[in-house]
Amino acid sequence: MTTKTKRSDGTLKNNRAKYLFLMPGVIWILAFTLFPLIYSFGLSMTNYRLGRNPKYIGFENYAEILGIGDEKVDKKAVSTASFSAFLFMASTATTLFFGTFVAWVFNHNLPFLRQMRAIITMPLFAAPIALGWLGVVLFNEQSGPINNVLEGLGLGRVNWFIEPWPARLAVMFTDVWQWTPFVFLIVLAAMQAVPDDLYESAQLDTKSNWNLFRHITFPMIAPALGTVMLLRMVESLKIIDIPYSLTRGGPGSVTQTYVFYAYEKGLIGSFQLGEAAALAYLLVIVSIVVSSIYFYRVRERFE
Amino acid sequence: MAAQNSSLPMTEPRSAFSRASLSDRFIIALAVICTFIAFSPFGYAALTSLKSEWKDGSIIPFLQFEPNLLNWQQEFGSGGAETMKALRNSTLISLGATLVATTLGTLAGYGLARFKYGIGNRNLVSWFLSQRFLPPVATLIPFVLMFRDLKLLDTLPGMVIVNATFTLPFAVLIMRDYFADLPHELREAALVDGASEFTTFLRIALPLALPALVASTLICFAFSWNEFLFASVLANRDWKPYPMLVAGSDTVRGIDFGFVTTRMLIAVIVPVTLSLMVQRFIVRGLTFGAVKG
Repeated sequence: MTTKTKRSDGTLKNNRAKYLFLMPGVIWILAFTLFPLIYSFGLSMTNYRLGRNPKYIGFENYAEILGIGDEKVDKKAVSTASFSAFLFMASTATTLFFGTFVAWVFNHNLPFLRQMRAIITMPLFAAPIALGWLGVVLFNEQSGPINNVLEGLGLGRVNWFIEPWPARLAVMFTDVWQWTPFVFLIVLAAMQAVPDDLYESAQLDTKSNWNLFRHITFPMIAPALGTVMLLRMVESLKIIDIPYSLTRGGPGSVTQTYVFYAYEKGLIGSFQLGEAAALAYLLVIVSIVVSSIYFYRVRERFE
Repeated sequence: MAAQNSSLPMTEPRSAFSRASLSDRFIIALAVICTFIAFSPFGYAALTSLKSEWKDGSIIPFLQFEPNLLNWQQEFGSGGAETMKALRNSTLISLGATLVATTLGTLAGYGLARFKYGIGNRNLVSWFLSQRFLPPVATLIPFVLMFRDLKLLDTLPGMVIVNATFTLPFAVLIMRDYFADLPHELREAALVDGASEFTTFLRIALPLALPALVASTLICFAFSWNEFLFASVLANRDWKPYPMLVAGSDTVRGIDFGFVTTRMLIAVIVPVTLSLMVQRFIVRGLTFGAVKG
């Protein structure tokens, strides 16, 4: 064995064994994440299509997508990116709102809440591809329960899969339904960490639930809300399974997300891998920005 | 709203802030509504799957049909060879990926909890987790070419590699957190007694970390089970996992609701059941440790 120098925090230095624990995982990520990413960057600099010899074209793919120089901007990249941007904002905001509300409801010491809490988390763990199909049944224009309920309420039937905005909302609602429990679980954990005596002293001044929430609960859970917002943002950029099965990106391509477009470009039909890699890489940059903010915020936790 | 649920048993208010103006009854009513919204799509799917004939315009389908198990028998009966094969594929792929991810994650998690690395433990953890933030298409495109060259397309090892890679961060994080909370003294005592680092890990730390090991295993399994995107490109024939069958439900016979909902429920039952068993670890795992659940 190597020499061990004991340190005050109980960890050991100058110990070769420690690398044997870490290295298998590190090597795995190097091989199957970092290497593919570098590979992908290389691909994005070529005009590679499956079955053709690739040629180096520099940043031409990027110029074509972004409309730099002589190129016209890739209209479909812009329209799919704007739908992704819509989900990025609308889906994140809606899940935060509902998740916080449900957490507030469940942050009461009452019977049955524990059991109901477990049921509420169910959508979170279902395969998104299956939830998209569930949406096909629920949003069905003729016989789906959602239209039946809307009609029963006198609101009329909605053409969920034919009109652009209803289709966009159907994708968003399905995503919101899946991810609200995620926000709920995290915000509830944050609410339960708020000390009871804070409420007790505040209740001397106000009896209003809304005031208690605004002046005590909200400031205390704000950091957790920030964290969950960033995580939701990153996840919302990756949405593909739900529109893939729910709307197939339609009508037209109004519910096609940016990721879906890159997937279609590279892996369906013409297999334009070079261009698809460039599309994907632009999104990697956005993800890096959002995740850097995230890691900056949670840096103390990992020490 | 509250009146509808007045039959629910009531107890004394216990927490500090449930004494305020809104009654407990109202809160329970709200909770029931939330739970209903979260659950009802599954409930509706379950009812629909018991139906082999579809009647238009039924808000409460259960009252308007004779329930039967035809759809389920079709999935698992004589015509269910495709289903059984896809379920077998999903099981083997998820088991393999879970084994790899949990093994590597446990080793790395122990290392990160117990030693200091020159590069900085915080940087290492962030590095492990950062790949969860990447859009999967970015690595999917090169995987197609790599797998083609390595002859891994549509194979079990190929699918295990893919799923192990994206579940590894969960395993690392869950295990690291748990090991970090175990008392240091146990390990030191073992080392003083002359045990090697690895023996100490295997004999002392690992048995104590059994709950986290179980949680990590179940979470990795559930997430691998749900994976569709990579499978749709890298395994579309012999090693097709179950989500691929779900995705192709319409090509078989148009959209048959009973059939679609049966497949959807089969896909959902396994991960949902597993995750209900490890609720305690879910919050930490999903936020990468940012919030303690």
